[in-house]
Amino acid sequence: MASLDNKSPQEISDLLDEYGIKHGPVVGTTKSLYVKKLKEAMAKGKKAKPSSDKTYYREEEEEVTYVYRTPSKSETSGDGGSYMRSRREWAEGEYGHDTSYSSYSSSRPEYKGRDLVDEPYMYDTPSTYSSNSYAKPMKSEPVKPKAQKSSRLIPLWLQFVFFLALAAFLYLVFSNMEANEAIKGIV
Amino acid sequence: MSTTSQKHRNFVSEPMADKPVTALAGIGDRLGHSLTEQGYDKAYVVLGQFLLLRKDTELFCYWLKDVTAANSKQADDCAQCLKDWCDAFL
Repeated sequence: MASLDNKSPQEISDLLDEYGIKHGPVVGTTKSLYVKKLKEAMAKGKKAKPSSDKTYYREEEEEVTYVYRTPSKSETSGDGGSYMRSRREWAEGEYGHDTSYSSYSSSRPEYKGRDLVDEPYMYDTPSTYSSNSYAKPMKSEPVKPKAQKSSRLIPLWLQFVFFLALAAFLYLVFSNMEANEAIKGIV
Repeated sequence: MSTTSQKHRNFVSEPMADKPVTALAGIGDRLGHSLTEQGYDKAYVVLGQFLLLRKDTELFCYWLKDVTAANSKQADDCAQCLKDWCDAFL
């Protein structure tokens, strides 16, 4: 890593930013310090270049829709039209439920995506008829809150049953304790 | 005020003005001499270095140990002293 010493202050500054290291100006007195810090960071294999990972995570969560989305996703910053079309075609090819979706979309113009299963496909028709601008920012948001609906390991009623059983058990224990005068009245 | 030395408390209690570098906590005669040779003759020059490092005590310790023969404790004391001074006056 001797090449680090030969880098310009600007390059060192950029490298520090990549590793997320907060730093001051890279001047004569500080340069060797920051070079040392960079060497440590590289040795630890820290989070270098975290830029593109985030998109991959989202794609994993919503694998059904996003698998097809990947090629067009990078180009959608300015142009929503083409990717809208590609989703729509894909969804309709799979399902062929044009009419049912259009009825859904008419009753619910803003897609909050209530159903977990139908949710990915919900995006297509509302987004195409409402506006392109909805698609990108709203896309990932509605999925997350609704995905939590089925996340309970133990159903709620079962938890209540356990709680009541525990309460009953404790009451039994309490009532069978050796009596003090104070408790006699309760049992 | 838990484990600070008298020197620390003296330094942090007032603006440093033109105090010599040996007035800093952790900097004794030997280190003070070493720093003065490198041009850091006054406490405010060392303060300048501390500020350049964005008041990061860890980096400052690195620097001090690099530039002088300071050990960890001395460097930590000095860094903490400067940090407290900055918190009070800067």
